[in-house]
Amino acid sequence: MKRGSMNDIEQAVRAVLRDALGLPEAQVAAFETDTPLFGALPELDSMAVAGVLTELEDRLGITIDDDEVDGDMLETFGALARFAADKVAA
Amino acid sequence: MLRFGPDHGPTVIAALPLFEEANRTRAAVVDVLRRLAARGIGGALPDLPGIGESLVPTAQASLSDWRAAFAAAVGTLAGPVFAMTWRGGALIDGEAALAGRWRLAPLTGAAQYRELERIRQLGGGTDYAGNRLSPALLDELDAAEPLDAGALRVARLDGDPRDAAIRLPGRPLWRASEPGVDPALQEAVAEDLASWIAKCAG
Repeated sequence: MKRGSMNDIEQAVRAVLRDALGLPEAQVAAFETDTPLFGALPELDSMAVAGVLTELEDRLGITIDDDEVDGDMLETFGALARFAADKVAA
Repeated sequence: MLRFGPDHGPTVIAALPLFEEANRTRAAVVDVLRRLAARGIGGALPDLPGIGESLVPTAQASLSDWRAAFAAAVGTLAGPVFAMTWRGGALIDGEAALAGRWRLAPLTGAAQYRELERIRQLGGGTDYAGNRLSPALLDELDAAEPLDAGALRVARLDGDPRDAAIRLPGRPLWRASEPGVDPALQEAVAEDLASWIAKCAG
């Protein structure tokens, strides 16, 4: 995939969270950089994390190693978007 | 095997995505078959050994059994028979005598295997989201590729950057934590499949 802008990547992350977690469009549209995810969204259990990561890989054309996955990257919407953006740029 | 629509003329046989994804997409795939039936195209959804209503334990399932069962199901249908497979279902139509293969968001066996391993590791256990899978099946999957032969059409969802003949608007229902439907996607799938079958026949 061509290098996307941060805004494109944030939109992709919102779409992934909407689709993989079954969240309403309005809820994901309202996510801010400091909106907490893991531990705050009951939908985001460990099974759902697998779906989020794989769908992110598909949409952004990136590969996420399982040892890169930790609580920090999933802590907030901003952290997840930043992680994805770093991967796209790599 | 579920049957829909006329029992003569072109028939579409469906293969669901594998494992948990099958539960999430079954209603949507059945709806596509109903929409095809309304267009005069017969539909079939076979049960495969170790999946769904099958009495075979999932731990005894194998990819070669699925391929053989799918091919056998195709053999019972009046032709021409087209396969509609979603996701990992694309891995099981390779031995069947088909007039064409239409695939939504297909993936390689290696990618499927990787997703399963991720689910197992994040689940912290030895099973795959509640499925016990044999090492032989996992090895088969890891080496499997969708058959690249004959009349073939690959569709993907909007937002999926990989190669495709057409992109359809809709949600990846196979990712959702609960089974769901997306009527707009199901209509787009039925429309594209019906017009492709007409083109293949013409």
